[in-house]
Amino acid sequence: MTNLDHGKFTRMTTTFHSLLALDVFALFFTGYAIMFNDHLWWLLVLMGGNVGVVALHRIAGLGLVALVTFWVVMMLITDTGRSNFRKVVPTGDDIAAFVQDVKFMLGRADERHPNARQFAGYDSDEVPLLSYVGKGVVFIFAIELTLLVISGLLIWSKTGLMQYFATKTAAMAFVVFHGLLGIIMLMGVMFHIFEHGFHPAFYPLETKAFIPRRMIPESHDDEDVEGTGIERLSLAPSWNLVANLMGVLVTVGIVSVMTASIVDEGYPVPRELAVEGGVIELLLTIGINIGIFVLFVGLVLSLYGNVIRRRWERQLQEQRERPTAGDGEVASAED
Amino acid sequence: MTGYDLPEDDVDTYSRSAIVVAAAVSLAVTALLAWVAAGFDVFYEGLFRVGPTVEGGGVGADWVAGNTMPALDLLIALVHAADVILGVFILFLLLLHWAAFRRLAARMRSPEEAREGVAADGGTERPEGGEPE
Repeated sequence: MTNLDHGKFTRMTTTFHSLLALDVFALFFTGYAIMFNDHLWWLLVLMGGNVGVVALHRIAGLGLVALVTFWVVMMLITDTGRSNFRKVVPTGDDIAAFVQDVKFMLGRADERHPNARQFAGYDSDEVPLLSYVGKGVVFIFAIELTLLVISGLLIWSKTGLMQYFATKTAAMAFVVFHGLLGIIMLMGVMFHIFEHGFHPAFYPLETKAFIPRRMIPESHDDEDVEGTGIERLSLAPSWNLVANLMGVLVTVGIVSVMTASIVDEGYPVPRELAVEGGVIELLLTIGINIGIFVLFVGLVLSLYGNVIRRRWERQLQEQRERPTAGDGEVASAED
Repeated sequence: MTGYDLPEDDVDTYSRSAIVVAAAVSLAVTALLAWVAAGFDVFYEGLFRVGPTVEGGGVGADWVAGNTMPALDLLIALVHAADVILGVFILFLLLLHWAAFRRLAARMRSPEEAREGVAADGGTERPEGGEPE
């Protein structure tokens, strides 16, 4: 047997992750329909024009406030939360993992550092809860979401903001700040989708965030596997094409939103919906739409992860009811 | 015993009561913040205040682009810088993973090899062609 990916998340975390993903996708689709409205005019129209899109953005924003608060409280009041928080704190090993990853990319290291591994091939306990990238994602997203919630609430309460900062233009600056801040998260989520959807061993989706830890059967019978065990897996026929295509799309998406965030300085919503001319604008329009397509892929993968969880749950249930069926093994694609 | 042990109760988990408490606190805080954001009022005009692309200009359309407060200018400049610096770093991470994934993929059995290999080495057949879920 090859120890594939042991479950790492609790059931609460898997549910939270899915809800957060849905909510953040809703915020991206509405928020960037506003900020890049000339590039994403179809998205703006699709979601009910200005009025609809702003209303949806605020509803999703309240959802985010609720989710973030829930998470903070859970981390504070439970032992598991506090212990998981300790496991998320970056250590020297994480820096070593990043350095070794660069060497691995350049062909100067044979293996990825344990702190970089998604595909473990090790006992669950030998692999950290999160890779160094995972830790970075948690920290950066946590800081980002907090700042976005604060600036979002300030924008919402414009009268309060104007009272505090004296002018309307100051309030407007917060709108710009809020939109530009979200760009970092947008780029990070595109990378996150690539990282967890297109690993050759897990393609088309790494399931650790969907199948909770307590549902993953663990076996340590067979300890004599050489290496990480990846040699025993066969590559999906479509992996090469799809992973390269997604790599290109994610790159184009990240470069485009980053460029647009520099070019589109000032109040993000112009007086009139106008598609601007010029080659750069055309390229940005194509690129930003590609970025939004990457997000749609992420949304589909997130829903797919939940379908897999349901299937897995049903399989376990059947196994329990008929314990002698087969030879007692849990039918699993991971063996 | 060839079966797997389900970890079940061995693993750390969150208690139901903790989840209920956190959910209650979260809803209360959200409701409070929504109330504050709406100016200590029920939503009656709050939702649709920004509609600058509306015909004739909605609220916000007359806000002059540009901002004279140095602190806010600095804040925006900082976020611009963060966008670019983190953007370049994220691109690097993407290329790093893309390259690492390609190296890992090269170590895996190719799809054709897997099809032939099952018969040749009598190894265990992967039920779904080696494609993990």
